Amino acid sequence: MTKVGIIGLGTMGAQHMDAYRAMPDVEVTAVYDHHAERAQAFAQKYSVRVAESLNDLLDHCEVIDICTPTYRHAEYALPAIEAGKAVVCEKPLARTLEDCERIVNAVKQRNTPFMPAHVLRFFPEYRTAHHLVQSGAVGTVAAVRMRRGGDFPRAKSDWYADFGKSGGVILDLIIHDLDWLLWTLGAVERVYAKALTFRNLTHLDYTLVTLKFKNGAVGHVEGTWCDPGGFKVNFEVCGDSGMLEYDSARQVALQIATRADGGTGGGVQVPESPATQNPYYLELRHFIECVQTGQTPEITVEDGYNAVRLALAAIESAQTGRAIAL
Amino acid sequence: MKVKVGIMSFAHLHADSYAHCLKANPNAELVGIADHDSARAQAKAREFETQAFDSYESLLASDIQAVIICSENARHAPLVQMAAASGKHILCEKPLMTKLDDGKAMLAAAQGAGVQLFTAFPCRFSPAFQQMMRLIHAGAIGELLALRGTNRGSNPGGWFNDPELAGGGAMMDHTVHVADLMRRLTGHEIVEVYAETGNNMFHGAFDDTAMLTMTLQNGVFATLDSSWSRPKTFPTWGDVTLAAIGTRGVVEMDMFAQYLVYYDDRAGRVKQLFWGDHIDYLMVDEFLRVVAGAERQALATGEDGYRAAAVAIAGYESVKRREPVPVQA
Ligand SMILES: NC(=O)c1ccc[n+]([C@@H]2O[C@H](COP(=O)([O-])OP(=O)(O)OC[C@H]3O[C@@H](n4cnc5c(N)ncnc54)[C@H](O)[C@@H]3O)[C@@H](O)[C@H]2O)c1
Repeated sequence: MTKVGIIGLGTMGAQHMDAYRAMPDVEVTAVYDHHAERAQAFAQKYSVRVAESLNDLLDHCEVIDICTPTYRHAEYALPAIEAGKAVVCEKPLARTLEDCERIVNAVKQRNTPFMPAHVLRFFPEYRTAHHLVQSGAVGTVAAVRMRRGGDFPRAKSDWYADFGKSGGVILDLIIHDLDWLLWTLGAVERVYAKALTFRNLTHLDYTLVTLKFKNGAVGHVEGTWCDPGGFKVNFEVCGDSGMLEYDSARQVALQIATRADGGTGGGVQVPESPATQNPYYLELRHFIECVQTGQTPEITVEDGYNAVRLALAAIESAQTGRAIAL
Repeated sequence: MKVKVGIMSFAHLHADSYAHCLKANPNAELVGIADHDSARAQAKAREFETQAFDSYESLLASDIQAVIICSENARHAPLVQMAAASGKHILCEKPLMTKLDDGKAMLAAAQGAGVQLFTAFPCRFSPAFQQMMRLIHAGAIGELLALRGTNRGSNPGGWFNDPELAGGGAMMDHTVHVADLMRRLTGHEIVEVYAETGNNMFHGAFDDTAMLTMTLQNGVFATLDSSWSRPKTFPTWGDVTLAAIGTRGVVEMDMFAQYLVYYDDRAGRVKQLFWGDHIDYLMVDEFLRVVAGAERQALATGEDGYRAAAVAIAGYESVKRREPVPVQA
C-alpha cells in the first residue's frame, strides 16, 4: 500500500481523491485543509481521516499531494521534501520564481521523487499530438496556435481573482499550454504578451501571447477567462509537411441537450468526451508507479520551474510592454 | 451608362476575380487590359473578351473612367501615379504600398489630380463582418477589450517570394485585410506593432510565418496571424477570422465558414466549397457606383490602404528591432 496525504481539499483535492480511490494499491491515509469545516466535510464524504497538523500528515504518508491555491504550494512542498516525502504538486509549481527555485533546490538536495502536476501531458489529445509532432508527422514546425479558456473560475474565497495569489490567466491557465509547448517544441527564445490582467476588471482576464522558439517556430497562445460560451480548448501545429489540429468545440464525442425547469425552460447543452481513463488518474498513477519503482517521473521539477519562468516572462512582457528574452 | 474600366497588370491573381466581376456586372464595361508582360495581356484579353493595349499609356489614353491595378506590390506606386495623372479613378490591389514614401506619393498624386483612389479590401463587404460590426456597435458584448484575428493562406510563390517586388513575405501579403477590419470595426488607428516572423514552412529568404500584436489608439489590443501556414492538403485557400472580446461577451467571426464539405474522390481530396456572398463582386460593384457619382459606403479609401500597409511595414521594423514600434501615420 502506498500511503498518500492530500493537502488542500477544494476542486483539485477532490479530483485527486477520486483518482486515488480507483487505485487498489493506494491508500489516502489522511487529508489536510486549513479550513476545518471543509476538511471535515471532505473527510466525511470520502471516509478519510483529517490530519491534525502538517506534521501529523507527514508522519503517516509516503506521498504528499499538494492541491492548495498556487501561492500556498511552497509552504507545504518544502517541508514535505525536507521530510523525504515523494511530492506531487498541482501546477503552477509556485507563485514566484524564488519559491520555484527553493523547491528545485530542495528536490535536488534530498533527491526525493517530485512531479509538478502538468496534467495536460496526460490528456490523450495533447499526448498524441506531442508524440506525432516529435516523430516528425508535420515536418519542421513553423507555427503553433493554442487556445484555452471559458468563463472566470470561481473558487473558495475567490482566490483566482487575486493576481497576487493566482498569477491570473497567464500563470494559472495557459501554463498548461506553455508547458506543452516547451515539452513539444523545446526552448523559447523570446516572449511578448498582452493581457487584461492589470486593467482592474472584475472577473475578466484575457491574454494573447506570442512566442519565438529557438528552433525558429512562432507560437501564439490565447488564454481567456472572458468567454461565457463555456470552456473550450483548441490547438493547431503547422509544419512544412503537414498540420495537426484539434478543437474541443468541433470534435464532440457526446452531447446532451436538455430543457431546464422540468421541460419548460430554456435548453442547456453539455458536451462530453467519455473515456475509460481520466487524465488525472493517469497522471497520478504515473507518479505512484514512479514512487513504487524508483523511476524518474516524466515531468521533472525543472519542467515545473521552466513553465513558471516562461509564464512570468509573459506576465512581465504584458506589464512592461517589452519583449522578454529568456 | 456603363462605367468604362481598364485593368493595369494581371500580376496579382486577384485581377482574374475582378475581371470576372466586371464582366458579370451590368454597369461595367471592361474596355481593355495592359500589362508589362504583353503576352499575359494578350492571353487575358482573349480570356475576358476584351482588348489588349500595348502599353499602360495607350490604355490610359482611351476613354476609360477608372482602372483596377493588380501589379506586383512594389509597382503599385508608379501605376497609381500614371493613372492619376491621366484623370482615372483607381481601385488598387492590396497592400497599397511596400514603402511609406510610395504610399504618400500615391495619396498625393490622387489628390493632386482630383481622382478617387480606393484600396481593394473586399472583406469589408462580408455580411458576417458587417453583422459583427452592427452587433458590437449595438453594445452586444459591452465594452470592446481585445481582438484576435487570423488571415492564413498558402504561399502563392512567384514574385510573392521576392521581397523586392512583394515588399516582404507572408506578413506583407496577409496583414492588411484584417488590420483594415480592425480599424473599420473600432474606428481607431493601430498605433503600435510587435511582430515575430519565421521561415520554417518554406525555408526561403522571405517570411512565411508571421504573428503581429497590435495596440489601437483606444487601448484595445489585438493579434493577427498572417502566416502562409495552410498545408497543401488544406480543404480551402485559407481563412479570415476575427474574434472580439468584450466586457459582456465574445463575438467570433469565421468569414468563409459558409461552405459545403466536398469529398472529391476524383481529385483525392476533401474541399470546402464556399456558397456565401461574393465579396469581390460587392466591392467592385460599389467601386463602379462611386465612380458613377454615388456616395462611398464600405469601399476602402487610399488612406485606409495606407494605414493598413503601414502596420505591415511597422511589423518588419519590429522584427528587426525585436521590440514594439510605433506605426507611422
Ligand atoms: N491541473 C488542473 O487541471 C487544475 C485545475 C484547477 C486548478 N488547478 C490548480 O490546483 C490548485 C488548487 O486549485 P483549486 O481550484 O482546487 O482551488 P480551490 O479553491 O477549489 O481549493 C483550494 C483548497 O485549499 C485550501 N487551502 C487554502 N489555503 C490553504 C492552506 N494554507 N493550507 C491548507 N489548505 C489550504 C482551501 O481551503 C481549499 O479547500 C491551484 O494551484 C490551481 O492552479 C489545477
